Amino acid sequence: MEDMLSNLGLGFSVALTWKNLGLAFIGCLIGTLIGVLPGVGPIATIAMLLPLTYGVDPVGALIMLAGIYYGAQYGGSTTAILINIPGEATSVVTTLDGHQMARQGRAGTALGIAAIGSFFAGTVATIMIAALGAPLTKLALLFGPADYFALMVLGLMFAIVLARGSILKALIMIVLGVLMSTIGTDLETGEERLVFGIANLSDGIEFTTIAMGMFGFAEILRNLEAREQRDVVKGKIGRLLPSWAELKQSAMPIVRGTFIGGTLGILPGNGAVLGPFASYSLEKKAAKDPSRFGRGAIEGVAGPEAANNAGAQTSFIPLLTLGIPPNAVMALMVGAMTIHGIVPGPQIITKQPQLFWGMIASMWIGNLMLLIINLPLIGLWVRLLTVPYRLMFPAIILFCCIGIYSINNQPFDVVMVVVFGLFGYGLIKLGYEPAPLLLGFVLGKLMEEKLRQALAISRGSLLPFMERPLSASLLILAVVVLIVALLPMINRRRDVVFAGD
Amino acid sequence: MESNEPIGADRGSPDRGSAEGKVPRDLVAGLFAIAVATLGLWGTLELAFRTPAGIGPGMMPRTTALLLAALGALLVVNSLLARSDVIERGALRGVVFILGAALLFAWLIRPMGLVVAGPVAIIFSSFADADSRLREIIPFAIVMTAVSIVLFSWGLNLPIPVWPTATPAVPFLPTIRF
Repeated sequence: MEDMLSNLGLGFSVALTWKNLGLAFIGCLIGTLIGVLPGVGPIATIAMLLPLTYGVDPVGALIMLAGIYYGAQYGGSTTAILINIPGEATSVVTTLDGHQMARQGRAGTALGIAAIGSFFAGTVATIMIAALGAPLTKLALLFGPADYFALMVLGLMFAIVLARGSILKALIMIVLGVLMSTIGTDLETGEERLVFGIANLSDGIEFTTIAMGMFGFAEILRNLEAREQRDVVKGKIGRLLPSWAELKQSAMPIVRGTFIGGTLGILPGNGAVLGPFASYSLEKKAAKDPSRFGRGAIEGVAGPEAANNAGAQTSFIPLLTLGIPPNAVMALMVGAMTIHGIVPGPQIITKQPQLFWGMIASMWIGNLMLLIINLPLIGLWVRLLTVPYRLMFPAIILFCCIGIYSINNQPFDVVMVVVFGLFGYGLIKLGYEPAPLLLGFVLGKLMEEKLRQALAISRGSLLPFMERPLSASLLILAVVVLIVALLPMINRRRDVVFAGD
Repeated sequence: MESNEPIGADRGSPDRGSAEGKVPRDLVAGLFAIAVATLGLWGTLELAFRTPAGIGPGMMPRTTALLLAALGALLVVNSLLARSDVIERGALRGVVFILGAALLFAWLIRPMGLVVAGPVAIIFSSFADADSRLREIIPFAIVMTAVSIVLFSWGLNLPIPVWPTATPAVPFLPTIRF
């Protein structure tokens, strides 16, 4: 406990410099600005804004990126409430009651309670990360390559269970992602794999390129098709601060949402996405009058928004302690860290404590800033959303192009994004969900590396995977998860969970 | 997961059932997976599956490609047994202009800089939407380009070219440096 406090003290001494405060502020502000744009989720936002952090030192860059991430999250909720377009799966639930509140002239209150709930959740999640960071890092040191491999298999199984639509298709996307991760020069033997004579492929494909193509461009193509179900709330925004009665109504949902979202966020394989859904169904069950839900119940915004933000933050835990990104956003964080020469994993906390704790402290500061920035600026976001999409999407395209070009100053990268935009659009047309592919792509590389290390230690024997208690239990759990997902009865229940009911 | 499609849209689509002349979506999706897997297998034929020390460079890609082919085949079988959604018509217009705009940007950015590549990307991509009007988009393109130059080049010091330095490369035509 005392350790934690002194560590947090170290963190705040790093995060509270004027420079880092400024970076957190700019990150939150620009993140919200881009995240508010309809159809631009956190992944596209971070990929687009990654070059902004190039000139900054590693600690500052990560603080700024974390700010961009929270800003994008909050921007997504704003879009969900005001125009009924969720920027990403986790804010789908917010559209249900949040948009209804907005139509009743209570948009301000919905946005206000979302900000307050998120702030509370962010505070608790920061404490959770601070408390769990050190012990989990110690646990991570017990992990051998075989255990890492098993944990990633488990993560991918979770990702399949949590993916939308058909399980078979999610599985195909993950396997395809792993296959694509092998493109490029093999690090061990120097042999080229799946390069097909294209020189630009010999270094492999950049994760940001895939993410921008499949989540930036493909999303715009999809949005252009599904035109104008946009329903911008033109009426008054109403008062921002919830009344005392509304606050009392929302208090318990926020607390429950925080713990649900925070706990699920730690799971490998994008558990965070489940948080808002779980919170919403729980609140609906707990309510005296469930029929209010879907008609502007404030608990239906407060709980899921808290769960969303808590999960968004605790999903940093697997990344910072084990070095395994649990979802696509965290995978982008890995990319950003690598650019700055930081290898995510258990060694960060011991070798670069100022970075680890500074980032954790800045998470809380970022949440506070969101509260301070967003409440007064809501009017600005609302006006931004009244800009017609026919003007918005060409601007988004330009920003995407500039962002991608700036990563390596390579025009070819923009061409690759176009290729992946087309690829992603094709996948969407075929009913594939691109998110599991991204996770497979990131974990694929790590998995191969760990598998090779494990087999090199055991001289080619597969026995350690079953003999080591950690890896054996993780692999068994992975099989159980897959079986549960495939059981038709539970499968139907999974539908119910995802229907937000 | 960061998409706009309403949850569960995969199942509840009104288009369900293969109408005359329409191709079941999952059939194509499965065939696509098999095709990619074949490409993956073909591209890794010469790589060693195992080495004396452990696994070779060919193991991961070939195993995943085989798995992908098997899953694709399963999807094909599934689509033939059960009725599946049909492929919705795509908007070719959006694909051509949006992706074309990015390609133009890639082609123009080095020689012509942001002052040319920026407006070209915005104006060309705006054709993706039938509602856009040149009268509106041209001033908008100029303003957005100015904003990007101020923000990215001056503000953030990104080494992105701003002014033209040469004519863009066209096959059979010489490039003129300014």
